[in-house]
Amino acid sequence: MKEFWEKALLGPLETLSKSVLSVLPNVLAMSIILLVGLVAAWSIGHVVERLLRVIGLDHLTNRLGVNAALTRGGVKADPSHLVGRTVYWLVVAFAVLAGLGALNLQPLNQFAQSFLAYLPRLFTATLILVAGYLLSNFVSQAVLIAAVNAGIPPARLVAACSRWGVQLVAVAMALEQLSIAQNIVVVGFGIMFGGIVMAAAIAIGLGAKDLAKEFLEKRLSNKSRERAPDDLRHL
Amino acid sequence: MTAAETPLTPETQAKVQEIGETDVLVGIPSYNNTDTISHVVRAVSAGLAKYFARSRVVLVNSDGGSSDGTPEAVAKAVVDLGTLLISEQQSPLHKIITPYHGIPGKGSAFRTIFEIARRLKAKACAVVDSDLRSITPEWIELLARPVLEEGYDYVAPYYLRHKYDGTITNSIVYPLTRALYGQRIRQPIGGDFGFSGKLAEHYLEKHVWESDVARFGIDIWMTTEAIASGARVCQSFLGAKIHNPKDPTADLAAMLVQVMGAVFALMEEHQPVWEGVKGSNPVKLFGFQYDVGVEPVNVNVDRMISSFRQGLADLEPIWREMLAPGTVEGLLPLKDCPLQAFRIPDGLWARLVYDVAASYHHRVMPREHLLKAFTPLYLGRTATFVLETQGLTSSEAEGRIESLCQAFEDRKPYLVERWQAPFA
Repeated sequence: MKEFWEKALLGPLETLSKSVLSVLPNVLAMSIILLVGLVAAWSIGHVVERLLRVIGLDHLTNRLGVNAALTRGGVKADPSHLVGRTVYWLVVAFAVLAGLGALNLQPLNQFAQSFLAYLPRLFTATLILVAGYLLSNFVSQAVLIAAVNAGIPPARLVAACSRWGVQLVAVAMALEQLSIAQNIVVVGFGIMFGGIVMAAAIAIGLGAKDLAKEFLEKRLSNKSRERAPDDLRHL
Repeated sequence: MTAAETPLTPETQAKVQEIGETDVLVGIPSYNNTDTISHVVRAVSAGLAKYFARSRVVLVNSDGGSSDGTPEAVAKAVVDLGTLLISEQQSPLHKIITPYHGIPGKGSAFRTIFEIARRLKAKACAVVDSDLRSITPEWIELLARPVLEEGYDYVAPYYLRHKYDGTITNSIVYPLTRALYGQRIRQPIGGDFGFSGKLAEHYLEKHVWESDVARFGIDIWMTTEAIASGARVCQSFLGAKIHNPKDPTADLAAMLVQVMGAVFALMEEHQPVWEGVKGSNPVKLFGFQYDVGVEPVNVNVDRMISSFRQGLADLEPIWREMLAPGTVEGLLPLKDCPLQAFRIPDGLWARLVYDVAASYHHRVMPREHLLKAFTPLYLGRTATFVLETQGLTSSEAEGRIESLCQAFEDRKPYLVERWQAPFA
């Protein structure tokens, strides 16, 4: 009876306690890493935010139209705060990964390695999206002003098309960078772009052929039939 | 790049060495001007022979690579002095025909002329456009003699022009330059100037030859630099200015970018000079003044107003970024007012131009976008001027320009305030 008691009941308990005792240092290490990580994340995030405010990031982004776009998108925080929070969560993510690594469990280690290997792609995709957004703002503003100065009536439509065109390219590039459904993105982009061109060709061919004819006649013959004489000398 | 490094071709250098020194140098920038340049060269030659008979004189043609035989036309152009009753023995006229280097444009052509003037130690220089049809020999005297004999450093032209000729000058550059620097130079971007050899050297020392100054901006740059450097400035009455259109294909927006860009860049450079200036003073005017008929100019007010209104409809968000809120509010009633009631008043226009200058300074958006977005506003103001001066003679219209200048001068404290701090 005593033997049964020791082997059947105390044995597994002893094994379990040994296992728990062997994991405890790892759990303690994970807790310490998480705690330090959280403190570091808060500090670094705070410092980054203050630093960006000092160097005038908000002023610069305001000039570039980013602040207005954020407000339009319902984001009330300024870019310095957003970058600070992003850095905070990045450090937290690293701390969590490092903490899980401290547990030394095989599946978690593999996940951490995969995530770390994916980070550069994520970073590049984010950069592409931000650059694409800024470029689309610049291009659409330039197109809008040029279209108004040229007297093209749907100036805003032309500008909006140019904005969405640039942003579409940026999104396609970012998705490709993230290796998300690469073929679908390329094919989808091709179909959409080709569709737009074809739609425009059909629209001009059927709906605005006279306008196109008149436009080409004016350009090629270098004279305007309807325009009243205007030889204003500006300089 | 220092002044000594301004490039000249070996042939030009040899010619300069052969001539040695000169008293009077007249420069003519050109690019495909074969139909007018012979007349200009003959007028200059006659002017030098008649009024500077005992001086050493040089004519420089700085060409931008014409393909229509402009340099050959300059070389062949001769004037029969006998028919002009010029019999006095004169020193020979040296002609230097040279290509220029750098960005294609009038500014780069002038740079070569300045360099030749520096190497020849010219005492007085003049530059005249190659597309002039109304130039006479007297122009050369009027541009060079105030420098040579009266001790002036810079001679600006004073033309009789049609009331709708030179609208950028009348509505922006003249009022703004006058209010900024306090000198009433009526044609600050006239195109034909006289200047001393000393001032030519000063121009060469400036590092502006890769900027808009090298193109349309050269005229306002020369005038402003002369004023800001403390040079003695005067004007000469040249009569009517009749010339070929500057560039039939030139885009108005591009023209505004270059001229306004140069004016605003100069404002940044010379802020200490203009900040404290109040009011303005008349500038000495040489020459016998007379009235003359000028070429009529056709204008299409409807098109200008519709350009403005399209700007108001499509560019309003951009205008709100570059103009003060009160300025935009002042423009809004023009969206649907009757054509004959369309007006951008003097005071509003002055504030608007000052807002654009301040926005350029504070870089509220890419500068090229800012200046191009200004185009419909300029057309709106030009339409206002045309509507206000219908039925007036050119000299009567001058009174309207005078009151606009007064509005710019009165609102200068607003500019200083805006220049120092961005819009709230």
